[in-house]
Amino acid sequence: MMVVALAGCGAGSDVSRTLGAICETSADCDGRCLPPSTDYPAGFCTVVCNASSECPDAATCVDDEGGACLFDCVDDASCAFLGTGWRCKERDVRGVAGGKAMVCHGD
Amino acid sequence: MSRRLIALLVMATSRLASADDPSVPGPEAAASTTSAPGATAASTSAAPADADVADVAADPGDQSVGASMGVATGGRVTPGGVRITGHYLYQLSSQDWFDGTASFTFGGGDAACFRDRMDVVVCQHGIADGGAIELAAGVRRLFAPKGAFRPFARAAIGISYVRFGDDDVSGLAIPLHLGAGVRARVSPVVALVGMGELMIGVGKFGRGLGTEPQLGLAVTAGAEFQLK
Repeated sequence: MMVVALAGCGAGSDVSRTLGAICETSADCDGRCLPPSTDYPAGFCTVVCNASSECPDAATCVDDEGGACLFDCVDDASCAFLGTGWRCKERDVRGVAGGKAMVCHGD
Repeated sequence: MSRRLIALLVMATSRLASADDPSVPGPEAAASTTSAPGATAASTSAAPADADVADVAADPGDQSVGASMGVATGGRVTPGGVRITGHYLYQLSSQDWFDGTASFTFGGGDAACFRDRMDVVVCQHGIADGGAIELAAGVRRLFAPKGAFRPFARAAIGISYVRFGDDDVSGLAIPLHLGAGVRARVSPVVALVGMGELMIGVGKFGRGLGTEPQLGLAVTAGAEFQLK
């Protein structure tokens, strides 16, 4: 029971002004806001990056938007905490030639 | 130890009884008499420093004012930072003083509120963020002297305006203060005071935050000046 409860609050509780908060402008975030769109439903606070080492834990720097940190995932269910319209998708890892990673992204 | 505590409780009860009924002199009637306005300074300079005189000399007299400075810790939507407090004390009984305060909390901090994925506003301010202005009224009870110090307990309720500027979040809070401290006289009319207190309450905030709990700690030190 406790394990289930802890697992349930894992990724969702990592949402912050730095990564994952809902936003409309960058004033809503510590870094950059990816405004609401089909790619980023409800908006997404992110960190501008050139390498995954610049991202918070559980996030990878992908080539989208000129370099942005997005949450790692293994399947669509692991992106459910971001709300409707988010899926687990394969994206190009920034700074790693040919590198791919599964991250949460809009439909 | 327990006998000593019982003795202190009995003494405190008898003092309260004597304070309520001036026609019934309590076991420390002499001390109560000399704590009348204007008498403290005279008795201090003229009498030997026995326990009763020390007891009277270390109390705030009929009225006192004071100022203290320290640190307050908050978090989430409870402000923290440097705290400056002004006190007004008015004697209610041989042991109890009305303790009215006006306090200012000056914290720092950047914006720390955001909307989570459920579109609920969450604030994660640090322990020394934000600012507040508060008026509080309460009672300070002084206990028997412990050497050069006079311990006391304080309970008060206040109303405060809380603001986190970088987030444009502000609200009104009703905090309850529970604290304890010590007082040490350094001249007939001046005493140094140190105090720690727990603050717990609720606040109503704007920007979609709604009602939020308030929880903080504060440690302050300052001086009090006897007026009468």
